[in-house]
Amino acid sequence: MNVSSYTFIFSSAPLEIASPREEFWAGCREVSPTLLGAIPFGLVAGIVAIASGLTPLQGIALSVLSFSGIAQLVTCQLIAAKAPAVVTVMAAAIVSLRLLMYSAAIAPHVAHLSRRWRALLAFLMTDQSFAMTVPYFTKPGDARYRHWYFLGSALTLYLFWQAAVIVGVVAGAQVPSDWSLDFVVVLTFIALLVPTVRTRADLAAAIVAFGVALAAAGLPYRLALVIASMAGIAAGMAIELGRRK
Amino acid sequence: MKAWLIICAVSLVTFGMRASFMVFADPHRFPHAFRQALTFVPPAVLAAIVAPGLLLRDGLLDLSLSNERLFAGLAAIVATIFVRNATAAIAAGMSTLWLLQWLGV
Repeated sequence: MNVSSYTFIFSSAPLEIASPREEFWAGCREVSPTLLGAIPFGLVAGIVAIASGLTPLQGIALSVLSFSGIAQLVTCQLIAAKAPAVVTVMAAAIVSLRLLMYSAAIAPHVAHLSRRWRALLAFLMTDQSFAMTVPYFTKPGDARYRHWYFLGSALTLYLFWQAAVIVGVVAGAQVPSDWSLDFVVVLTFIALLVPTVRTRADLAAAIVAFGVALAAAGLPYRLALVIASMAGIAAGMAIELGRRK
Repeated sequence: MKAWLIICAVSLVTFGMRASFMVFADPHRFPHAFRQALTFVPPAVLAAIVAPGLLLRDGLLDLSLSNERLFAGLAAIVATIFVRNATAAIAAGMSTLWLLQWLGV
């Protein structure tokens, strides 16, 4: 009789249980393709922070505490535009609304963890960790230590991101502008956007938001972003409601 | 001082969004319409972020053939449809952009 079937019959645990350490390293490994995008994006975030008039310490603090590329960029752009503080924080909140949706999607998979664990994972959660961990959490098999996979991938991205931002803050002005590194930011968001469009309603939300963002581009304080996002969500809802009737 | 205030507020807001359902609230306690609306947030917000990066030049709409960023963005979209990762999008987009800039189209 072979050993594995023996184990299968007499043990209540599944055959292969990944240990916390294995899960953690798997997360670190599998996040690596995203790091290539995080490095130039982080550089840009660091460069923009200094260009906006923040001190190096403030630029790094914003990054270490908020860990959100787009929120950092929008904040710096509005600081540079001398927008009122309330408007700046509002704009950062609007672009961060998607984190609310990710949080709702991840919540059922971490509900069994302690509050401290959930707070830690939430602090490190990004578009990338949402895209990686939700499919991983829903895979069949033993899910006991999958939060370690989340931690491994998110922590790796966090450290790389901060390193890139710090390099951007320190060496920023010396990166030649004709490399068009800022365009990496747009490309990163294209890579995030494409997989979110799965239904016709999603497509309507994206197209309407895209169009309104251009039509409203003349408005001050990045209001176009706010209005376009709201219009896109409304369009998605309208298609969804129409479909169900 | 104002900068530090903004930094703290933005950090609190981003953490609040992330922690909302993971730490504090059960999403199933919210009305269906709210959760439905949430699912449209990523395509809408991300498209609103991408649009000006592809089509605005110095604040003006640029639909001309000399808009390298538009073509680079389209290359990235096609790449992402086939290979679902950010590396593919960045590789396709940046190589297209640099090529077009080098050709001086």
